[in-house]
Amino acid sequence: MTAPLEFRLCNQLGELRRLGDEVQNFSAAHRLPPAVVQAFDLSLAEWVTNIISYGHADAEEHWIQVRLSMAGDLVQAEVMDDGRAFNPLTHPPVDTTAPLETRPIGGLGIHMMRKLMDGVEYRREGAKNIVTLTIQRAG
Amino acid sequence: MEISKSITNESHELLISGRIDGAGANQLELETLAAMRAGAKTIYVNLSQATFLCSAGLRVLLQTWRQMKSSGKSFYVANPSPEVDAVLVMTGFREQMVEGARPPGLA
Repeated sequence: MTAPLEFRLCNQLGELRRLGDEVQNFSAAHRLPPAVVQAFDLSLAEWVTNIISYGHADAEEHWIQVRLSMAGDLVQAEVMDDGRAFNPLTHPPVDTTAPLETRPIGGLGIHMMRKLMDGVEYRREGAKNIVTLTIQRAG
Repeated sequence: MEISKSITNESHELLISGRIDGAGANQLELETLAAMRAGAKTIYVNLSQATFLCSAGLRVLLQTWRQMKSSGKSFYVANPSPEVDAVLVMTGFREQMVEGARPPGLA
């Protein structure tokens, strides 16, 4: 069993490239199937983008901690941030059949994350949001 | 992410290569705004070489589509790669933004 990959990101959109690189490296090390990599990569990017874009009321530097691991056949990511409390599981669903003229701009990232992952869990510990994303290795 | 532009008459094509993540979406937004300011009557965003599309990129596509449509102009997403096409299908964008859109000269 390989050790988890842990790293932290600053709350700047430029860090998304590094997140993508880390996910690709982790996926290559564990020989994950392309469809699983794509889903994992996109879901993590969506959640971290959400934290960076909406998580903090101030303009200060904040850190987002990410831990990627394998648990048997499950690929897992745990993301911890110190932003405002936000549970993605309570976010209302998006009607993807609605005409684009009337479609709300927001909510698509969380919609995709929930659709792509086999599991999304949320908990609030003190002043931290902790989201755990899981997907089966088999895809 | 890289964007290359080609202009034929009043038709602007933006060819996107690489990842359209949050930062890439900002870059794409600047280019679509520039095309609109330049008087484009049609904008094609060619995603054949895009390997990744997140919701921030979708937001830019949707905003541009709405702005172009409200001023009687056209906006299309053309030739999405399989990875990007999966995102467009999952979000319901494909049917309304992509189908039937093929700029002249594109495979």
